[in-house]
Amino acid sequence: MRISIEWLKEFVDVKESPGSLADMLSMLGFESEVVHDFSLLSKIVIGKVVTAKKHPNADRLKLCTVNDGTDTLNVVCGAPNVDAGQTIAFAQVGAVLPGDFVISKAKIRGEESRGMICSERELGISDEHDGIMVLPNTLKVGRPIQPHLDKMYSSLELDLTPNRPDGFSHYGIAREVALKTKRKLKNIPVKISNAKSKDIHKIAKVTIEDAADCPRYMGAVLHNVTVGPSPEWMVERLKAAGQRSINNLVDISNYVLLEMGHPTHIFDYDKIPSNNISVRRVKNDKTITTLDEEKRKLSKQQLLITDGKKPIALAGIMGGLESAVQDNTTTVFVESAYFDPVTIRKGSKELGLLTEASRRFERGADIHAAETALWRVINLVQEIAGGELVPGIIDEYPGKFKSKNISMRRSELDLFAGCKITDKEVKMILDGLNIKHEKKKDFWKCTPPSFRPDLEREADLIEEIIRVYGYDNIPSAMNYSSSYLLEHPDPEQSLEDLRNLFYAFGYQECQSNTLQSKHWTTIHGKKSIAMMNPLTEHMTHMRTDLLPGLLEALDFNIKNGSSDLYLFELGNIFLQEKKGFAGMKEIPMVCGIMHGNRVSLSAHDQAKPVTVFSVMGHIDRLCNVLGVNAPTYDPLEMKGYQKAFTVCMGKEEIGVLGTVDPDFIQNLGLEIDNPVHCFNLEVNKLVPLMQHEQKFSPINVYPVMERDVDFVFPEEVETGKVSQKILQQNYPNLNDVFPIDIFRHKSVGENQKSVTFHFRFQHPDKTLEDKEVSSVINKIKRLVLSEFDAKLRSSN
Amino acid sequence: MTNSLKETIEAVRKSFQTALDSFPTDQREIESLKSAYFGRKGELAKLYAQMGSIAPEDRPKAGKAINSLKEECTRLFEIQEKQYITKDSSNGDALDYTLPGENQRLGSRHPISKTLQEIKDIFTSVGFHIAYGPEIDDDYHNFTALNFPQHHPARDMQDTFFVQKDVVLRTHTSNVQIHLMENSEPPLRYIVPGRVYRNEAISFKSYCLFHQVEALVVDKNISFGDLKGTLEYFVKRVFGNKVTMRFRPSFFPFTEPSAEVDIWDEKRGQWLEILGCGMVDPAVFENVGYDPKVWHGYAFGLGIERIAMLKYGISDIRLFFQNDKRFLDQF
Repeated sequence: MRISIEWLKEFVDVKESPGSLADMLSMLGFESEVVHDFSLLSKIVIGKVVTAKKHPNADRLKLCTVNDGTDTLNVVCGAPNVDAGQTIAFAQVGAVLPGDFVISKAKIRGEESRGMICSERELGISDEHDGIMVLPNTLKVGRPIQPHLDKMYSSLELDLTPNRPDGFSHYGIAREVALKTKRKLKNIPVKISNAKSKDIHKIAKVTIEDAADCPRYMGAVLHNVTVGPSPEWMVERLKAAGQRSINNLVDISNYVLLEMGHPTHIFDYDKIPSNNISVRRVKNDKTITTLDEEKRKLSKQQLLITDGKKPIALAGIMGGLESAVQDNTTTVFVESAYFDPVTIRKGSKELGLLTEASRRFERGADIHAAETALWRVINLVQEIAGGELVPGIIDEYPGKFKSKNISMRRSELDLFAGCKITDKEVKMILDGLNIKHEKKKDFWKCTPPSFRPDLEREADLIEEIIRVYGYDNIPSAMNYSSSYLLEHPDPEQSLEDLRNLFYAFGYQECQSNTLQSKHWTTIHGKKSIAMMNPLTEHMTHMRTDLLPGLLEALDFNIKNGSSDLYLFELGNIFLQEKKGFAGMKEIPMVCGIMHGNRVSLSAHDQAKPVTVFSVMGHIDRLCNVLGVNAPTYDPLEMKGYQKAFTVCMGKEEIGVLGTVDPDFIQNLGLEIDNPVHCFNLEVNKLVPLMQHEQKFSPINVYPVMERDVDFVFPEEVETGKVSQKILQQNYPNLNDVFPIDIFRHKSVGENQKSVTFHFRFQHPDKTLEDKEVSSVINKIKRLVLSEFDAKLRSSN
Repeated sequence: MTNSLKETIEAVRKSFQTALDSFPTDQREIESLKSAYFGRKGELAKLYAQMGSIAPEDRPKAGKAINSLKEECTRLFEIQEKQYITKDSSNGDALDYTLPGENQRLGSRHPISKTLQEIKDIFTSVGFHIAYGPEIDDDYHNFTALNFPQHHPARDMQDTFFVQKDVVLRTHTSNVQIHLMENSEPPLRYIVPGRVYRNEAISFKSYCLFHQVEALVVDKNISFGDLKGTLEYFVKRVFGNKVTMRFRPSFFPFTEPSAEVDIWDEKRGQWLEILGCGMVDPAVFENVGYDPKVWHGYAFGLGIERIAMLKYGISDIRLFFQNDKRFLDQF
């Protein structure tokens, strides 16, 4: 809502600068910004066009002389409306217009031009650019333009909250200013005449089908109306409030809307031959063509104004084209009604048509203001369009307004505010808000006005008191009296531990979009959850896997010059496991990918690419740090993976790791040429493994004895099986065994490999002797030779 | 010296020469070649082993011959080896200390996690617990129970993704407020972080999802002053003690009175909105079966991205979800 400060001044004194006024309104709950800041305009003065002749070398241009208060200057102007004698806004050479447009001396089609005559758009007032802006002749030539523009066009843009329909007008905002500044609020000037006359009923009749949809409908008829341009003052006001002038009748309705917030509509009376207006829901009606020349399909949701038979307007939303005022209209029917907010809301939603009128009705208009608005329109039509009122008005009012009585307890006010607001202050605030009140022993009996439909309960009144009293005046505190739970404050602390580990491993954390395409989310054959109203065709479904999002991030980074990447994400995936809402599952996952080099090329190192063992190493280490037993990796066939393994910790399968299938990447529409290795783990299976008490084991201080043994195996023997077999024997003092070298050479033999195993021995209570270790080593040699078709390398 | 030994020495020299001619390029093969000649069971060791079987008077001469072979082989081998092992920056005494340090890899925390962790630390330090809840929820928990009437313009305040007619992607983490109160007895003091969704066109200032931290306090004597005090503490911990802030009246269906908190941006000379808050609306308490005559409380909600953007000077919200290494590297 745009508020013209000049217009506001009609109802309340405004002494504040636009900036301070905006601050004041913001602090009252009407978030405001100053729209025009004319103080940035310089070297723009009030000028007078002395002469205006056709440009000798151009048909569309005029050659003018302009008096800028000191000189008379030659100016070339392209506006068709420029004429001698006009007072205009003149940008001198050196002036800077909005958009950093600098005026300089120029030669246009051979004629010198020393300045510019401005249009409204060039000054940033409106979009008007068809001609120059003509100013009142009363302005003094040579003076800067700024004070005039400030006076006429200073305005604020208000971002209104849906609970305050009363804020949608100059009068409503003036009421708040008066309340806060304790200044007087002036009335809207209304002249009522012949209200009781029955004449009107002879020529017009209104019936309301359902009082719930339309509690009140008022109307009046004016003859001998002349449609034409609006007077200057009205045009300027509308302009300052961001509205274009159309014609006097349309402008009057708009003017009253912006002035007091109540929507009205003016019909061409002669287009309603039945003289019978009926307010009803859609029955067999199919369509209506509205004022904006759109043919709209109707449904049962719509409330209509009809001429007894066919629709002539969408009640509270928009008038019909057929019954609209035209240039030759002579008799008008003025409608000022109150429609049910929910009815209008549903109707407007269904049509996708939000108008200035529907916006106000759906928030709750003022049923009493219908009368004031009607007379205000009547008065303005009489004054501006020469209309003559048919004596009397129609006032069908089946849904009488019932005022509410609300008690506001002193104790509750004190409790909410956390401080004492005096009776005197409370009274002043209630008075300023037009809330009728009566102070009882320990409460106030209050009756809110009809223009505040949001005030229904005690809490609503307390809010009003605190709001006007000022949030800044409430002292800050931090009093917590009750005791609280003593368990760990964060149930997801283990996820933090997990994150920290991945940071330490060198992974960069990602956050990717949950919303993806159907193709991406169903690529594994999983059932994904679809949006009914997606934002774009690429964001129609919820992700079913974190991997595609990370691959997309990888693809993006490779294209932007980084390819050595470890990325991970911790977040939910979403599956439609069974039908309906109950079958939608949110599953927290942690997924990581590795790509490029593990060690990058430098003066110290050769580049070393990541392998699937890099991922395994991280998962091994993860278990180690978490105090979980070493995981096992069992190969499996899985879509999307070239090579995949289930990650088992204890008996629990917690996820998979492996090398991503390049076809999968291509199928996602991504371009990644080098291998990508990844892990994908279920957080809910991992976390319980992490949550155990950590215990310290005493440090073994005795020396470790180390031995290496070279075995030659056939290629197909898996080293992991060998280590496992050895460990299963529980040899005394053998702590660990693992391969440290694999060697293939013709000296070793065709399809053979030499594997060096490293053994670590340690006794808990003493230093081991060489022979103790040697005897175990000999047993191990015998075991391996007999179990794995192996030879000892040294015997070669 | 016997002829046979002489021949053996010559044979070793010859085979070594042949090996040098096809010197391997792989580190592992170089190592195996080295051990084949210089190792414990290598060719040179075998030669020395033969010393025992020759006449004592021949030994010095033989020893000399083997030694000279060893020296020759070692020298030739090292020359060859150096050509292939060039990545040795710590070559003896000639260390170049102006070389850069070795590359060390360290991961990075996403700025959203980083900011969230900071927010969690601040609130847990003053006695808040943390709760989490579903991203997909029914209309009741996301709207109706929070006092958003079915056909009210307040519903337009948050553009909503619908999964079914009455099932939405939560537009705020306030849905967890309702779950919490349905499942536990007051008093409560929680913050609720999580991902939320808005069906808004994507631009530098809005994304289809973001992360929110909502707070809910329910107790017997909770006032607007307590809300102010807690948020002032929070804002000062995040933005520093010198921050200027204001509580500006606003509207949220589930709080009353409601406010928005702005902080003053000195550089731009304007107020910047950072969060919304208010006293829990009694209707919300009634919806979860708490007696509003007994219980009072407050709630507030803030966008993690918004806080991070202000804190780090990030001007485009889309950067949070692009996962650009050049962005991630900075946190």
